[in-house]
Amino acid sequence: MADVILKLKRNRPGSKAKDFCRWPDEPFEEMDSTLAVQQFIQQTIRRDPANLEAILKMPEAQDEGVWKYEHLRQFCMELNGLAVRLQSECNPETCPQMTATEQWIFLCAAHKTPKECPAIDYTRHTLDGAACLLNSNKYFPSRVSIKESSVAKLGSVCRRVYRIFSHAYFHHRAIFDAFEKETHLCKRFTDFVTKYSIISKDILILPKLDDEPPITQPVGESEA
Amino acid sequence: MKIPTAMDDSSVSHHNGGQVGSQIGVSVNNKQNEESSQSVQYSIPGVLHFIQHEWARFELERSQWEVDRAEFEARIAFLQGERKGQENLKNDLVRRIKMLEYALKQERAKFHKLKYGVELQQGDMRPPPEEPPQEPEPAERAQWKQGRQLIKQYLQEIGYTDTILDVRSNKVRTLLGLNNEDQGEETSYRNCEKQQHYSMNTALSRKMYDYGAKDQRKTGVSQGSGYSDEGLSVQETAAVFANFEFLANQEMDMDEIDDVEAKQMHHAAGKQGEEVDHEADEVLNELNLLTASEADGGGQGDEYAVGVKYPTGTAAVTGEADEKPLALGELAQLTVSNESEGYDVASASKESFRKTWNAKYTLRSHFDGVRALAFHPTEAALVTASEDHTLKLWNLQRTVPAKKSAGLDVEPLYTFRAHSAPVLCLAMGAPRSEECFSGGLDGTIRVWNLPPATADPYDPYDPSVQGPVLREHTDAVWSLASAQGRLLSASADGTARLWAPRTPRPLLCTLRDELSAAATPAAADFADAATRAAVVYRDGNLLLYDLETGQSVLRVSCDSPANRVRSHPTLPLLVTAHEDRHIRFWDAVSGRCAHAMVAHLDAVTGLALDPNGLFLLSGSHDCSVRLWNLDTKTCVQEITAHRKKFDESILDVAFHPLRPYIASAGADGLAKVFV
Ligand SMILES: [Zn+2]
Ligand SMILES: [Zn+2]
Repeated sequence: MADVILKLKRNRPGSKAKDFCRWPDEPFEEMDSTLAVQQFIQQTIRRDPANLEAILKMPEAQDEGVWKYEHLRQFCMELNGLAVRLQSECNPETCPQMTATEQWIFLCAAHKTPKECPAIDYTRHTLDGAACLLNSNKYFPSRVSIKESSVAKLGSVCRRVYRIFSHAYFHHRAIFDAFEKETHLCKRFTDFVTKYSIISKDILILPKLDDEPPITQPVGESEA
Repeated sequence: MKIPTAMDDSSVSHHNGGQVGSQIGVSVNNKQNEESSQSVQYSIPGVLHFIQHEWARFELERSQWEVDRAEFEARIAFLQGERKGQENLKNDLVRRIKMLEYALKQERAKFHKLKYGVELQQGDMRPPPEEPPQEPEPAERAQWKQGRQLIKQYLQEIGYTDTILDVRSNKVRTLLGLNNEDQGEETSYRNCEKQQHYSMNTALSRKMYDYGAKDQRKTGVSQGSGYSDEGLSVQETAAVFANFEFLANQEMDMDEIDDVEAKQMHHAAGKQGEEVDHEADEVLNELNLLTASEADGGGQGDEYAVGVKYPTGTAAVTGEADEKPLALGELAQLTVSNESEGYDVASASKESFRKTWNAKYTLRSHFDGVRALAFHPTEAALVTASEDHTLKLWNLQRTVPAKKSAGLDVEPLYTFRAHSAPVLCLAMGAPRSEECFSGGLDGTIRVWNLPPATADPYDPYDPSVQGPVLREHTDAVWSLASAQGRLLSASADGTARLWAPRTPRPLLCTLRDELSAAATPAAADFADAATRAAVVYRDGNLLLYDLETGQSVLRVSCDSPANRVRSHPTLPLLVTAHEDRHIRFWDAVSGRCAHAMVAHLDAVTGLALDPNGLFLLSGSHDCSVRLWNLDTKTCVQEITAHRKKFDESILDVAFHPLRPYIASAGADGLAKVFV
């Protein structure tokens, strides 16, 4: 009985932080919960956040829409960590506009009419808006099957979310690097949107993160 | 769904421009283009259809307004009735004062006469003037009744009675909830002195019997709820009159009372008439019946408390308060009024639990399991804490109707970001209601200044929302409780700590189990009017610490790991939730296990006591929330609320301190509120 209890995958009150979610992996086929995809993604990330190939490898016979949806939920959730760090340094005085390179000023789409929010507000509003959209009962009523029309919504969330990475990269590099070293989140995100062709390659303006010296910016290109 | 749509719109405009990163101006131009292309090509059928559509819409709105108006009218009627009730109460009290004065003067005169053998010359020796009962003019009364009947009928047709009843019970609870705390304590500690009694039921009914034996009049009063004690005490007035000879000739209109009793709302009408009696001992018998029938109802869930007699008391007040004769309470009642009000609170809260709880609001916005939730002390608002590193503030009065279901979706008012790891626990400020505290896996405790209920989620970021951060814990903080401006935390670092969160040196005290260095606290709660701290440990031990000395004063051992501890708001009783599916009740004085029960099919994770200490709410990894009657320890209702993630399901449950809301938080990332 005690054995069975100990094997249960739960975080009991009083657990040490290092033991949080530290249980043996469960094969995806054996997960019978409606949240199986989330469980599986989180389990793979926990095992090795740097192993992007494993994290993005979709189990066989998995609905691709749900797979992309759950990954995007996970990205937005982990981006809270970047937002927390940005809150300490990025403010309307330092960054009155949401910019990456100086080429574009991004308008915040969380308002009735898109608005020129300061970068920190853009970041928060975009994450809050994404939380609302991705949890919306109207577009995503189920976490086991997703309408094609709703899957199409993921693209616009991804584009906005990417701007948070790029703002951090170009304006708060120390924060970005520390966060990236820990989470590999931007790299994972870039691989994800590339693998599933969710957003156009042209707007992935960050240099390849593995390369030490950043490549010169491909400035001035026009987007078709 | 304001936000997603907004996001859509702008994304559409981006695509139209063939542009992905939006430049200033470009998206605006696109918008205008779209609009102009939409504003062409009217056709007659099109226009007609539009007009029809608009007409239907206006009709719909009109009927909506009418419904609203009826609701407000009913509310006005309710408030007017309530005001009359209050006026009667006031008049009654004034009369009692006059009677007291008169009695005192008579006593003085008697004393004087006996001592000196002469009449004392006092100023005013007339008995207080007998005001005629303030009955409304017959015509006015008939009109009033008729009007009320009409509204009631109309409301029943459109199914609004329940809402009104809710408003009412809510109101009564609010009124009575205000003064229950200190009285409750009084009750509990008297009990504690006499003999340890853990069951509210025995404690309460035993007291009632005490009064019954000593002075039957009091029993009748204690039985009534809120305002109805006036009505019931009328039954006792006969006895009172015997004490006041000068009032003996006043007539009692017993029919009038029957009238009041018979005019109950439909749901209890059947049980009502036959149980009206005017003898105190019969009232006592009734009390027995009553407790028995409650116990029965308890098991059935749906039927719970339908047979209870007093919920209708308020109904009588709302409409008919002006019709009953003035309730002339006895003098003795003045001295015991505290106790009798204590019972009133009890019965009033029973009233609000009369109905079954139904899921009403679904709070979806967290990306991962919701670990904790806490209601605002007064408002219809709550805060949730999640493994997605954020906390969210929700205003239940700002909702989005969900498609295809009776429930409502709520969008968060504010997202609190500062923790760098899952947030595990949460406490609302007490007594300051504009703050809350959160503890996380990152070992920090954070103080937050709550934004106003009118805040827009897309306002600019205000760094002053973040208050002080308490960093002394060296491992995950799993439990927080707040009382009297102090905060109690329990952490995986092996300590529980007491804080004064906003002072320069916030850490007041560190509590450790001296006998077992490796013991890790799982949860903690204030006990005994916040003079003690109850801490349960992962190994199952329960320790009670004196917060003055920081020393443990009571140790209880239990072999099953515990997840939660809550102390009873009024009795010296601690409740613990265990991994072995049990809920255990402990006497906080002797340490004796007062009761243990298998409460769920899986580990019990969440516990909450209602503010009056009559009901217990529990949540479990078996996916269900259960409501328990603390008197009988029977399950009153079970709700399946959340889905599983890994082997976890429900992580926390809560009662609103004032309003009739309960809530559950789940590993599925949702929080639900039941009404
Ligand atoms: Zn910035
Ligand atoms: Zn914005």
